[in-house]
Amino acid sequence: MAKYVVTEATLSINGTDVSDAVARAEVTETAAEVDVTDFGSGGNTEVIGGLKSGSLSFDIHQDYGTGAVSDTLKDLVGTIGTFVVTPNGTTVSGTNPQITTEALITTVTYVSGSVGDLATASYTFPTTGGITIATA
Amino acid sequence: MTINGIRQGLATNLGTITGLRTAAEIPDQASPPIAIVNLQNIDYHNAMQNGMTNFVFTVQVIVGRAAEREAQRRLDEYAEPSGARSVKSAIESDKSLNGNCQTLIVDSMPSVGSLQMNDQTYLAAEFSVQVYV
Repeated sequence: MAKYVVTEATLSINGTDVSDAVARAEVTETAAEVDVTDFGSGGNTEVIGGLKSGSLSFDIHQDYGTGAVSDTLKDLVGTIGTFVVTPNGTTVSGTNPQITTEALITTVTYVSGSVGDLATASYTFPTTGGITIATA
Repeated sequence: MTINGIRQGLATNLGTITGLRTAAEIPDQASPPIAIVNLQNIDYHNAMQNGMTNFVFTVQVIVGRAAEREAQRRLDEYAEPSGARSVKSAIESDKSLNGNCQTLIVDSMPSVGSLQMNDQTYLAAEFSVQVYV
């Protein structure tokens, strides 16, 4: 395993590869902190892991061509989408795991941008269910 | 989509201005009025999987000898944001450069000034073109 610079990450939405329109991608999983501090905690706070939750976020370059990222997202608001992310290329391995999650598409940005700027949009969706990490 | 294709596309668009010569590459001899396409810089990796590369081209328009009043008038016409001789309008007339880029924008004309060439002082202006590939 080696450190790497992010250039070859992939993202697919419901099976459509939109990687070449993605400028940033992030998948996180978080466990809630459940406080179990009591008189036996010796004056310290004690916590255990509670429910897990996740978040998927990415930035795109808007493109409404057929099958392009904006076209792919435009009818999905309010639905559960399947998102597959790899950090460093398409070959799945122990050093390039494939992260699969479902997420609620809470918003779709149809138009965004200032005059003269490249049209972009930023998305953050809550995951639903678990996050699967495959290495093969 | 190639750099040469972008150059040729820019030159083709500029060629829609009547009377303006064009050069997709820096010529050995430039005969004004002429628009010369130069590559200024490239910003790679603007999307995953080489999905977008940003090029900045400058189009140098040499209008004529600086002492000529006509040169100033002609430069004013080239610098207009619209019109038959507008460099901006001509470049943006085909934003795909005949399929050689995703889009482009002429975002500024950052410099106007004199240019020494062949022992003559010419009036010239540069236009900055952002090309997204």
